[in-house]
Order: sequence, then structure tokens, then C-alpha cells
Amino acid sequence: MAIIEQPAPVGAPALPAAPTPTRTYGALRRPVATTGWKSWVFTVDHKKLGIMYGVVAMFFFIVGGIEALLIRLQLAAPNGKVLSADVYNQMFTMHATTMVFLFVMPMAAAFANYFIPLQIGARDVAFPRINAFGFWTLVGGGIIVNLSWFLGGAADGGWFMYAPNSGPVFSPSHGVDFWALGLQITGIASLTGAINLIVTVLNMRAPGMSLMKMPVFTWLQLVVQFLLLFAIPVITVALFLLSFQRNFGATFFDVSAGADPLLWQHLFWIFGHPEVYVLILPSFGIISEVLPVFSKKPLFGYPFVVFSGAAIGFVGWGVWAHHMFASGLGPVSVAVFSIATMAIAIPTGVKIVNWTMTLWGGKLRFTAAMHFAVGLIVLFTIGGLSGVTHSVAPSDTQQTDTYYIVAHFHYVLFGGAIFGLFAGFYYWWPKMFGKQLNERLGKANFWFMVIGMNLTFGPMHMIGLQGQPRRMYVWTEARAGEGFFNIAFWNMVASIGAFILAFGVLLFLINVFKTTRSKEVAPLDPWDARTLEWMTTSPPKEHNFDAIPTVHHLDEFFHRKYEQDPNTHEMKQVATAEDILREQEANADKHIHMPSPSYWPIVLAGGLPVIALGIIYSIPVAIVGAAIVVLALFGWSLEPSTAPDSDFDPPASGDGTKELAPLG
Amino acid sequence: MFTNGSKYFIGVTGFSAVVLVIYVVLVDGAVGGAVALASIMLAVGLLAGLALFNRDGDVEVGDAAAPANAVPVGSSLWPLVTTLGIVAMGVGLITHEIVFLLGLTALVAGFVEWVIQGWSESASSDRRFNNAARGRLIHPLEFPVIATVGAGVIVVSFSRIMLAISKTTGAVLFTIVGALVLAGGVFFAVRPNLKKSVAVGLCVIGAVGVVAGGIAGASVGKRDQLVEANEEDHFAHKECGEEKSKYFDFNSEAKVSMRSNPMATIEFVDGKLQARELGLKKLTDRITVQKSNNISVIFRNKTEGEYRLTLFYGEKEVQEGVVEELHNCTQMIESGEEQLLTFRIDRPSIASEKPYKFYVPGVEDQSIEVVVP
Amino acid sequence: MPTSVRRFVAGAAGLSAVALLAGCAKNAPQDTWQPKGPNAQKIDDLQKPVFAIAGIVGLIVFAAVAYAVFRFKDRGQPIPEQTHGKPVLEIGMTILPALLLAGIGVFTFRTIFDLAKTDDTEMVINVTGQQWWWEYDYPVQTDYGITNPIITSGQLVIPTGTKVLLRETSRDVIHSYWIPALNGKRDAVPGRVHYLRLEADKPGIYAGQCTEFCGLSHAVMRMEAVALDKADFAAWVKGQLELADSPAEGTLAKEGESVFLNQCVRCHQVNGLKKADGSPAIAAPEENVWSGAAPNLTHLMTRNTFAGASWDLLTKECRKDVWEAPGGEFGKKYLAGVTEECLNQTDLRRWLRNAPAMKPMYADPTKLGPTDGKYRGMPNLGLSEDDIDKLVAYLATLK
Repeated sequence: MAIIEQPAPVGAPALPAAPTPTRTYGALRRPVATTGWKSWVFTVDHKKLGIMYGVVAMFFFIVGGIEALLIRLQLAAPNGKVLSADVYNQMFTMHATTMVFLFVMPMAAAFANYFIPLQIGARDVAFPRINAFGFWTLVGGGIIVNLSWFLGGAADGGWFMYAPNSGPVFSPSHGVDFWALGLQITGIASLTGAINLIVTVLNMRAPGMSLMKMPVFTWLQLVVQFLLLFAIPVITVALFLLSFQRNFGATFFDVSAGADPLLWQHLFWIFGHPEVYVLILPSFGIISEVLPVFSKKPLFGYPFVVFSGAAIGFVGWGVWAHHMFASGLGPVSVAVFSIATMAIAIPTGVKIVNWTMTLWGGKLRFTAAMHFAVGLIVLFTIGGLSGVTHSVAPSDTQQTDTYYIVAHFHYVLFGGAIFGLFAGFYYWWPKMFGKQLNERLGKANFWFMVIGMNLTFGPMHMIGLQGQPRRMYVWTEARAGEGFFNIAFWNMVASIGAFILAFGVLLFLINVFKTTRSKEVAPLDPWDARTLEWMTTSPPKEHNFDAIPTVHHLDEFFHRKYEQDPNTHEMKQVATAEDILREQEANADKHIHMPSPSYWPIVLAGGLPVIALGIIYSIPVAIVGAAIVVLALFGWSLEPSTAPDSDFDPPASGDGTKELAPLG
Repeated sequence: MFTNGSKYFIGVTGFSAVVLVIYVVLVDGAVGGAVALASIMLAVGLLAGLALFNRDGDVEVGDAAAPANAVPVGSSLWPLVTTLGIVAMGVGLITHEIVFLLGLTALVAGFVEWVIQGWSESASSDRRFNNAARGRLIHPLEFPVIATVGAGVIVVSFSRIMLAISKTTGAVLFTIVGALVLAGGVFFAVRPNLKKSVAVGLCVIGAVGVVAGGIAGASVGKRDQLVEANEEDHFAHKECGEEKSKYFDFNSEAKVSMRSNPMATIEFVDGKLQARELGLKKLTDRITVQKSNNISVIFRNKTEGEYRLTLFYGEKEVQEGVVEELHNCTQMIESGEEQLLTFRIDRPSIASEKPYKFYVPGVEDQSIEVVVP
Repeated sequence: MPTSVRRFVAGAAGLSAVALLAGCAKNAPQDTWQPKGPNAQKIDDLQKPVFAIAGIVGLIVFAAVAYAVFRFKDRGQPIPEQTHGKPVLEIGMTILPALLLAGIGVFTFRTIFDLAKTDDTEMVINVTGQQWWWEYDYPVQTDYGITNPIITSGQLVIPTGTKVLLRETSRDVIHSYWIPALNGKRDAVPGRVHYLRLEADKPGIYAGQCTEFCGLSHAVMRMEAVALDKADFAAWVKGQLELADSPAEGTLAKEGESVFLNQCVRCHQVNGLKKADGSPAIAAPEENVWSGAAPNLTHLMTRNTFAGASWDLLTKECRKDVWEAPGGEFGKKYLAGVTEECLNQTDLRRWLRNAPAMKPMYADPTKLGPTDGKYRGMPNLGLSEDDIDKLVAYLATLK
């Protein structure tokens, strides 16, 4: 890690080991290890952090998935006995919380972390230590949220946690406290991450890369970071109110003290609706990369996709009350939000048109990534259209809080967000690990997931329209209707579908396992890709690029490989990826100096869960946590961004280096 | 391994721990002192850990070539601050707690600064280097603390000003101050090459102005209304007889909750009381509300003079044999004004011999019956 | 068949399956597509075309994707020209859906305001939610013979062809009132009063369910709306206004009355019930239950269901007889109430034996710290089998 004085060509023998520094000061040296667990735990490298984000998110995906399977087991037959009412309520609360905050968001963050710097030709993010801090904070928050399972029961108020049901009287266990404080902590992670990536994108693009030459994935992630920047503070306020109500006797949502419980709903959904776009836009970005690559065509209407993404980002702030059409807002508010919600369908529709037109007239190669991308178009369209049906407010008063809504948002979030993430796995795996995921297994993975997902969530449309509400720990034969295809039948189908879906995900894990063990190395440019991240080795070197490329085109890499024949107008290959890499290595920048790893981010992040536990159980413990935080902040502010030369093995000669990421 | 700085701090931490234990054992139940000592221990312990982890702020200490005592020591502020702290603590014990706490703060701050300065001055033979080493270690602590204190002083001063002047003047002043701050911001923004001293000067003038105003405001005290309203808290003794408070904040009860669909509107029109239930067109003299539920009604006075709406809702035995009537009421309001009354009735109508009712005190034979099924 | 085509077929089949099979379940009691009153009908008239439009748009998109997937599969064709889009098409495809949605928007707008009207109300009923049952009280409305407030729970009884306005509120957390056959849902929020229009065309029982998550037993918080024609409704009102009679001396029911006075009257009111000294027995749920209310049992046996409308008071056959009675006979059958032979003793006894085992509630006396010792729901009263026999006999007299 850290110092590369003169980038060595790929495959060059390692330098001979040099003697250790003669003298070190203090208790500990900077953690400059390049191998072993220390190189991961104390790293500030955006790629390592990206991978760790991915691993943690994948872990929580499995946790959330098991929760979902338990829910479907309980509901497979009437009067289910698998879970008690109490545990069931905890289960669906934690399923949603885990999937939203601990899987989709961190997984999107994993891709953002890994690929934004690569796509814009930067060597790291703007604030590498803050990046590490964000990751460890997320881990701490995730642990706190889930710790409640072992300490008297998890949160049981639904992920929307409506007041006053979330108050100390109605939810007496500590579950909601863990939930509120855990999410508060993950909120810190999201917020620091958002600021970091915004600064990175705005300031650290390669020369020549104007905003309108930026890859779409980076663009949509930028929109997401702005959404987070403004949405997270709102939920922070709401969670503070909730925590104070629960832990310190405040009365923000206490009706007998004159409060209006709808305040929580407004706060939650002002955050919650932009949050939906936070979940879906990264996946839109991923397939906007995947579709052009496998169609051998640029994205159709690039500016329209970019601006419709930004439009969704803006209009997304004006539709929160469509989650509250049945809350009794009064006809004027309902009408306004109903129309605004319809309006947001337009930029979303634009995206679907653009993706379809990208395929149109292309040269389509159906790899696993492409399967998932096309799957997203179809499944997201279903989810989008069912969304239009409940933008019609009167219609929504029949559908809201029934399984129809569950069907809708699973088509949007599973068929949309998660399929996009899987497209990303298959597309970027060779870049991240230098090995290619098995394509055959990948396609099987896709088909099981597509069938499983449609069997699980398709019937929920019907269950919902026939009147089965959400969040019920049991349903009864008495309200299931008659005939063979009644609610009971579809509930069973949905439960079976859930296991097929789970098998599909299992295939992915098997694929990862097999690929990790295989010795086969992926080609440098396996997909004939178009963007900058493919212009370096796989996996990329620590400093990403030997020479920062100068950008002339959107899809710069493609245009370096192909040129249009002026006479026949046909695209001709003029260079291979290897040629381009060799040229880069030959013109490598001298003295690349990368930021050094640090203890402080993980120490600082470690203090936050201690504070949370202290607030729940005993204030002195919170003071200890606060002391850790202050200590770490102090240490952090004292620490230079690069370690002194004497910390390295071999000691570096400190002359003439330039700091590329001096902040953070 | 252990740097000179960290050894020093570890020693002080250990010492304060011992003192703490002795103090707790000797002085029974004195929580304040124990907390103070524990804080000192924590603060110094923090610095110990810090010095350890940062190798004394990356300063290479123990430089054999430059004996620590070779440098003449400069002047220092900290003995003075520490002494003042001790004096203030002594004075505080006799007079005010706040003086004691200020003294304690000065003592701790002076002590920490003194220790760090002392350490840095013996770090090497180079004065400039020593100063830098001191800054390295103490600035991350000094700057946030000074900034917090500074912001706190400004906020408190401004609040004293706002509490002292009348409501209208307050609004005007706030507008002017806000406009000035904005103007200042614009001025700095359009003149990026402004001399640093000018910018600092402007800020200092503003800050001094606010602090001076704050001192003046604090010495004048709160405006009369606030003082009286505080003394005459309507809610503290919600009596439905003679109005005691002149400065009751009508807006606090009347605005937000009025939009939340109250159960009924009760109007006092030309000496007659009439009710309109939500959803029903007809006027009525009897409304039905649920038991054990927070119910709101709007009261509108449309009769010349000041009136209030009072609810009688049964009797309660407060002690053995002592029965008290239960009442709830709005404020006195002028003709044309309205108020919201929120109430909760726990016993059904059949539990009371006298019917529950709304009435206007001083007006006979006008009432609205309240039925609680 | 190439994978691409299969993908399309799967997608299209899934969608058409949704459309076709939705009609396959017959008579689901809470079906949102079977309106039985003008308000639900308005919603239905609006949503059916929207579903159709959404379906058509969906099919067009799937067809386009499927065609592209099939037609432009890599068969060795040259690398296509690197075009960046056609602004005319883009703008067109932005305006087209905008126009479509504007059209839907106009009708949506009208329906929203139609469904929010309150000035044509003919009758009001207060609906109060609490964990985990609904209370209904009918304010005095002499036009309908309601000379004294009526209070009931579980089953809301309304006259047919009458524009009823529900005034919803809640005593604890947010609940949501939903009878899909009659109207969409509306939340009952503590501290606020929300309206919901309700009108049934024909006599019958319409099922509903609390749809805002309201804690532990949310799944078993149900309700039913019973529509009676105007004459039957008047008869029902008359019956509800009567006080309960004390059972004859020496009967098992009379013994049951004293068990009730010992145990149940702490929370449950029976209008007309007198203590041993002849003074009226008045329940004090506010001292024992967090919400401050418990179902009034004066006319328990006129209702078909109990415990938040989640269990039947009628045996299976009798229930079927009432629920499936044709419009003309329904009123008579409903008004007959629960007769001796129709009483579903099994569930009622199970309930009396240990209520929280049947419906999860916060009834563990050791865990009532947050509610100052008050229950949320009904505790296990620890009644002996003897007492249960007596109580059932007494409850059966509450008609």
C-alpha cells in the first residue's frame, strides 16, 4: 500500500526486501501493511473499501433473505404457526430495514466507491480516510440494528415506524431504540459518503472529462449522492425526535400532550421517497453501462437519461405524501400529490424508452450481465406501471397497505434495484477480481431469479387486489375467497416462488465460490467495454492508472479502440485494450504518492455504537463512547495524510513525492 | 515505545485516579467533586492516549543532541490562569456555584495548557520547532473549544437582546441584523482580495456590538410581558373563573390543532350558545363524544364582550368524602376570536347525576349537553 | 426458441396471467374489484381504465423489447454506427406519456373531490379504533329513531341507500378503516377526526380489515359493515336502545350475572346491569385498559362476531345461513341474532378460558410497566370451567 515511487510494469518481479527502519517512535507505527488483515481493516483504498462494502452488503442480503423466507413460510398456509405475532412483526420490520439500509444502499455504495474514481480517471476519492470511516460506521450501524435480535427483540413497528405505535408505551422492548440509533449511525455513513463522492466527482475528473462526457453510472450516482445529502438530515431529525421520545421522555408524538402523529409520517416520507430513488438510480446507472457495452452502441439519448435522472432527483422531493393518501390529508393535498406522482412517471418512462432504443439496431450479446439488464427493463416496467395505478389516489385508497403495494415495490426494488446490482456483479467481476464469473451458472442464476421473483411477487398483485392487507402475521381461510385460484392458492405459490428465488441467489453464491477457487484469469477487456475503468489492469493497481488519461469522448475507451472509416462509415478496430494499457505504462507518471492507511477511521466509527448502547442502557457508557469519538477525532486531526517515510518497509525516500489526495 | 509526552500524561492520569479514589472514600456522597476529578482524569487520560498514538504529534523527542534544559524558558500565561481558577473556585464555594464551575474550568484548562507548554519547551533546542510541536498537539483542542465558547457567547448575547426588547422591535431588529450579515457576506464574496485585517476587523466590530448589546439586555432583564406571563401561567392553574393572565399566548393553542378536524364548532352568537357537529348541517344543543378520547372543539365568540367556554364533566372524589367538580375551559376571548378546547372525559354520562355540558360562565340558561355513551 | 423470445413470452405470460387470473378467485370477501356501493363504484370506474391503459402500455414496451432482443441479436453483423439518439423521438416520447397522464389526472382530480364531499351526509357514526377492535357510536339522530346514543363494536350497522359519514378517530395508535366493497380506506389517527363516506346499495355483510399496522394483533383486528334496509335498520335501532334485563332468579344465567359483576364489569359495560345493592354497575375500563375502553356487551348476541370481529359467535352452518342469505331475507336473519342453538360455544369458551392465547395481547401483568399497570387487550382472567359455564349462559341472554 501507499507508496509507489515508480510503477512497475505488470508482472515485474517484486523489489528485494530492504532493511527495516532503524528507529520508530511512539507506540504504534502507521498501519502500512500491504498484505494480511491489517491491509484491509486500516485501508483507505477506495477499491478495498468498495469490496468490503460489497461483502458486508452481501452478508446482510442473506440475513434479509432468510427473514423473507421465514415470512413466506409463515404465510404459506392459513393460521401459520412458524412465527409468533411478536416475532413476525419484528421479522418484516427487520427484513425491510435490512434490505433497504444494509443491503441495497451499501451495495450501491460498493459500486460507487469502486467505480466512480475509476470511471472518472481519478486515483482515489477526495477524502480517503472519511471513506474508510463511512464504511466502518455502516458496519457499526448494521451491528447495532441487528444486535436487538439478541437483546430482547428487534424493532417491531415496521420500517416506516409510524408514531405513536413506535413510542415507549406501544413498543416496550428496546428494539425500536436499537433501530433508531442504528439507522442514525448508518445515516452518518451515508452522509459522509455522499459528501465524499460529490467532491470526488466534481473535482477529480480526468482532464478533458466535462460533466457531459461523464459515464452515466457516475452521473446517476452523483444524483443519488445529492439525494442522500438532503434526505439523510430529514430522517436524522425524525430519528432524533423518536429517540428523545423513547429515551428521554419527550412528547413529540404524544397526542395527549397536543402532538400530531402525522408529523412523523411527513418527516419519514420526505426522507423515504427520495430514498426510493437512492435505491433505484444506481441500478439504472449500472444497466445504462451494461446495455451499451453489449449492444456495441452508445447509450441512446445520453443527455435525456442524465437529465431525466436529475429530474427524478428533483421531482422525487415533491411526491412524498403519496404514501399517505389514506392518512386523511384532505382532498387538496391528495390531488396535488397525486398529479405530482403521475408527473414523475414521465422521466422514468423516458429511461425505459432510451434503454429499449439502445438495444434497437445494436449488435446484442446475451451475457449474464445483459440478461439481468434486459430483465430489469421488463420487470421494472411492470413495477412502474403498477405504480401508475396507485398514483391515482382514489384507486390507491383501495390498494395501499395491501399486498398489491408489496408486489409493486418488489417489482421496483427487486426487479429493478437488485437485478441492476446483479448485472453489475457479472459485468464488473472481472474488473474487480481479475476472474470472470461463470457465464452458464450466471444464466441459470438469472432464470431462477426471474422465475422465482415472478412467482413470488406476481401473485401478490392478485392477493392484494382481493383484499389481503400487508403486515398480517396470519391470514384466514374465511377471507380467502372460493374457487381453486383463491388467496390461499396464490399465497402458496408466492411461498414456493420465494424458495426458487432463494435458490437463484444461492447459485450466485456458488458461482462466486467456484470463481474464487478457479485459476483462470479473465482477459483484460472481456466485454469490449467503453469506459475508463477498463483502461487499467484487472484488478486495478492501487493507484488505478499509471498515467491519468486525457478524455476526448464520451465512451473514451471505445473510441481509443475503434475508429470510423471515413469512406465506408464502418467502425474499425484500431487498437486492443492491451495496446492501450502498454501505452499508458510506457508514459507512467513519476512519483505517485497515495494516501496512507490509518487507525483513526475505525476507532472513530467504533465509538458510535458504544454511544448508542450507552443511550439505551446507561449514560456513563455513552460518555465512554463519546470519549472514544473525541479521542479519535483528535488523533485524526493530528495525523498527516501520508505516513512518515520511516514507517515503511523499506523506508521510503521522501523526496519529490506529490500528494494526490492530501485531504481527509 | 512510550514517548516523553505520554509518560507525563499517564503519570498525571494515575495521580488523578488515586486522588479520585481517596476523595470518594474520604468525602462521602460529594458527587460534584467526584465528577470534577473524574473529568480531569478523563481529559488527561485522553491526552495520554493521544500522545501515545501520535508519538507526541510526530515530534521527535528525546533528541540527545539537544538537552532539554539548554533552552531558556519564555513567558507563560498559564500559571496566572490556574491561580485565577483556584481563587474563583474558592470564591464560588462561598458565593455562586457558577463561579465555582468557571473557576474549575479555568483551572483544568490552565493546567492542561501549562503541562503541554512545559512539555513542548523541553522538546528540543529549537524554539520555533517547540512552538510548532505545541500547536500540533493543542490546536485541535483549543480551536474547537474557543469556537464553541465564542458561538455560545454570541448566541446568549443575542437572545438576551431579543428577550429585553418588545416583540415588534425584535422583529425589526432581527430583520436589520439578518440584512447586515447578508450584506457582510456579499461584501466579502465580491471582494476576494480584501485585506485580512479588514475582514477580521468587521467581524470583531459585529461581535463586540452583539456582546455589548447582550450585556445591556441582560442588565435590563426580560420584557414585562414575559415576566408576567411566566408568573401567571394559565396551564399551571387552569381555573375557569376569573382570568389571571393578561399575556397568555393565544397562538400556541389556536393555530396548528385547529386544522386537525375538531369534533364540533361551538359558537356564542348574540348571547346564545349553539353547536354544529362535524359532518352534520343542523345546529344542535347536544353533541356526542367518545369516552376516554382526546376530543377538540372550536369555540367562537360572536357576542360583544369577553367570554370563555367552560366544560363541566362530572365529579371526582379527591379525598375521602371530598367531591370536586371537574371543569375545563378556554381563555377569555374577545368577540370575533376563536379558541380550541381539547378535553378527555373518562366516565360515561350514566355515571354522573348531573349531565355533562358546555356553558359560558355568567350566562344563565345557555348550554350544550355533552353525551358520552 | 432463442432465449430472447422465451424471455418475452415469460414476461408477457406473467402479465396476462395477472390480468386473467385476478378474476379467478370467487367472492373473496375483501375483493377490491367488486364494489357494492356508489363510493367504491366511483373508484372502480376510475381504476379499471387505468389498469387497462397500464396493461396496454406494458404490452407495447414488452413487444418493443422482445422485438429488439430477437431482431438485433449478434449474428455477426457489423458494429453499428455510434449514434447518440434522436431528439425528436425523445421529445415525442416525453410528451406522449405526459398527455396520457394528464388525461388520467383530470378524472382522478374529479373523483378525489367527489369522494371528499360531506355536505350531502344523511347520517353520521363515530368510529373509534383502539388496539385491537373498533367501537362504533351513533350520535343522537331522531330522524332514524336514535333518541339516545347507541354504542356497539365489531359490526357496523348501516341503513342501505343512505349516505353515511364515518367520523374516525383513535384512542391509541393509528388504525385504518377499510370496507373494500363500500369505499377505500381512511386512517383513524389519534387526536384527529377523519371522514369516510359509506353507502351500501343492498343489504348484506361486507368484510373489512384494519390496514394500518397497529401493533401486535394487527392481523386480527377486523370489522364488518352490515347493511340493513331502512325498516330493518329501524328495528335494529329499537333493539339497541333497550337495556339489558336481568335473568330470572335461580337460572344458570343469573349465576353468570354475578360472575360478570365480579370479573367482567371492571371493563365491559352492560347497560341496565345492576349491582347487588341495586345501583347501576358502571364499567371502569379507563382504570384497567390503556385505551380506556372495552367493548360494550349490552347487545352482544345481536352481533355475529366477537373479539375484534375475528371470531364467529355463530356456528359454521348458521354463519353460512346469514352471510349467504339473499337480499330480501338477510335482514330478518341478521336481526334474529345469535340463538341458543347457533352460538359458537367452542370459540367463546376458548376466549373466556384464555383470551391472550387466542389473540396476542399485552396482558402479562409483570410487563405492564410502560402502561402504568394497564392492559392492552384482555388478560387471562383465570376463570374456572364452572364460571365459564355460567358466563356463557349469561352472555347468551344479552340480545
